[in-house]
Amino acid sequence: MASLIEVLLETTGLGEVQLFLPALLACQQRASGENPWLVWIAPPHEPYAPALAQQGIDLSHLLVVRPATAIEALWAAEQALHSGVCAVVMLWLQGSDERWLRRLKLAAEAGGALGVLFRPDRHRFESSPANVRLLLTRGTSADRVGEASLELIKVQGGRPGPIECRP
Amino acid sequence: MKARPARPTTADLFAAPTHAAPADTGAVRSVEALPPQAPVQPRAKQLWYAVVFADLAALEASAQRERLCLSAQSFTPWVSIELPNALLLEIQGSVHLFGSLQALHAAIDAAWTRCALPAHSAIAPTTLAALWCARAGRQVRIDEPRLLPGNLAELPIGCTGWGGEWLQTLHAMGVTRLGEVLRLPRDGLARRLSPAAVRDLDMALARQSAPRRAFVPRERFRERLDFETEVESVVYLQKALEPVVERCACFLRRRQAGVQSLELRLRHRVIAMTSIRVGLAGITSDRCRLRDVLHERLTRLELPAAVRGMGLHSGMLLPLPADSLDAFAGLRGDGRAGNRAPQLVERLRARLGAGAVYGIIPVPEHRPECAWQRVHELPGRSADPQVGDMPRPIWLLEAPLLLAADALTLSGQGLILAPGPERIESGWWDGRDVARDYYRARNPLGAHWWVFQERHTRCWYLHGVFA
Repeated sequence: MASLIEVLLETTGLGEVQLFLPALLACQQRASGENPWLVWIAPPHEPYAPALAQQGIDLSHLLVVRPATAIEALWAAEQALHSGVCAVVMLWLQGSDERWLRRLKLAAEAGGALGVLFRPDRHRFESSPANVRLLLTRGTSADRVGEASLELIKVQGGRPGPIECRP
Repeated sequence: MKARPARPTTADLFAAPTHAAPADTGAVRSVEALPPQAPVQPRAKQLWYAVVFADLAALEASAQRERLCLSAQSFTPWVSIELPNALLLEIQGSVHLFGSLQALHAAIDAAWTRCALPAHSAIAPTTLAALWCARAGRQVRIDEPRLLPGNLAELPIGCTGWGGEWLQTLHAMGVTRLGEVLRLPRDGLARRLSPAAVRDLDMALARQSAPRRAFVPRERFRERLDFETEVESVVYLQKALEPVVERCACFLRRRQAGVQSLELRLRHRVIAMTSIRVGLAGITSDRCRLRDVLHERLTRLELPAAVRGMGLHSGMLLPLPADSLDAFAGLRGDGRAGNRAPQLVERLRARLGAGAVYGIIPVPEHRPECAWQRVHELPGRSADPQVGDMPRPIWLLEAPLLLAADALTLSGQGLILAPGPERIESGWWDGRDVARDYYRARNPLGAHWWVFQERHTRCWYLHGVFA
């Protein structure tokens, strides 16, 4: 669980958070009492409480953080991952350098938390220390116009490739 | 006695005031104006220790006063301040703890010696008697009220602390010792000096109760620090702050209390002081937490000018929650995380600002923008389970975004998705009424949107994103 997942997004609204809701739920239920916190750092819009409550997320342990700069966002993510009280830390970023991502990964390992980093898909060709890298794009195949497609572009100890799923 | 009162009255000596027969002259009035001579009531035996510091300013500075009172409180819970330079301790209950009155007396005296404060002390059954003996420099231990008149008789009248006018009057009468004062007729004394003088003597002789106000520890921590040279580096401030925070934590621990806010004031030479207020997510007395929060705030502070001194002020003292007593924090196996969550929130808030870290809760309300709110105390309430089952987006835009007319319908790819509209019509009562038809839609880029059509204007708005 203690790892960093990087999600490269073509645009927001492809169901990228939906993708992780089952994981968030599972983490919260499994870790009840231990480290139940979910921290969302610099989300692109306001997380909508009724939608999350519908999905069964325990909102009393969800923290929204709105840093003013990217550096502060990374710092906050590092603190949250390292703190040992968070189950999942999600971070939305426009850009970042590899050094910071490495720090986040180390913090995730130290704090036993799952870090999820959302970045624009223009970063897909940069190297990244994330354990898993996912690419979420709108589908291009003719039969599934408008459906998002998910591609695994890096996975430690696994084989990259497209993933069949319908977010 | 050289001068008797001008008009001698009956031999109404102080030795037996309760039996004093009211005189039948005009002078009686002033006696009657005295507080009624209540018969001496059997009350719990009291024993007072008074200490008078040689340094007249010993209790002037509030910090020093606080420190002395606190060390006095290690002998008895009942300490009272007699300005300018004396303390009174009620020690009857403490005697058996120290074995003997003598041992207790020596132990309390040693406390002042340790502080390098020369002082005189005395013990007597009443506050005033103890105080007067101490002022006169008699290290006496009087443990029976009946021994009071004999012991007080030799004291000079100056030790009463009465005003110069009274003392002058007494001197004019040739009275220099308390014993002589005690032999004066009560009503004469009340007339020549004041009924208050008579009351003082009654209090000193335990004929009248002498209510005193107890010292109550100050409810805030406050410490001021002046630098020898002006400080321009935040790192130095952090270093200098550490022992202060340590003392603050100690101050809180001694009171079994915590704080939820701190204020750090930085004083500059010319410009107004910089005030830094930090809030904590929970009530704490933990030194590390207090220090971390202050450090974090200082780190991102840009000093407007060099700092000459600083002061740390605690917010109101609050009782610590039972499970947060630091001594037990390490013992609770499951509670570790629970203790550190507020710490994380504090650290984030210290650097990012209090408003930048919050929780969210749903609110039962039809208008989507009003159906949630931010909460700043954490952990927040559990989610209200009463949320509808209509689809709601993960992201809500801060304000609905007006869409170009062709954004959805005319571009070919964008289209409204089934099932068709969820009508929301509400809020007519507060002037922010809405009449909207909500749809799920997909924009040309493939993103899932939550859009609505204003029913009056027929305009389309983007309100949320199904992320």
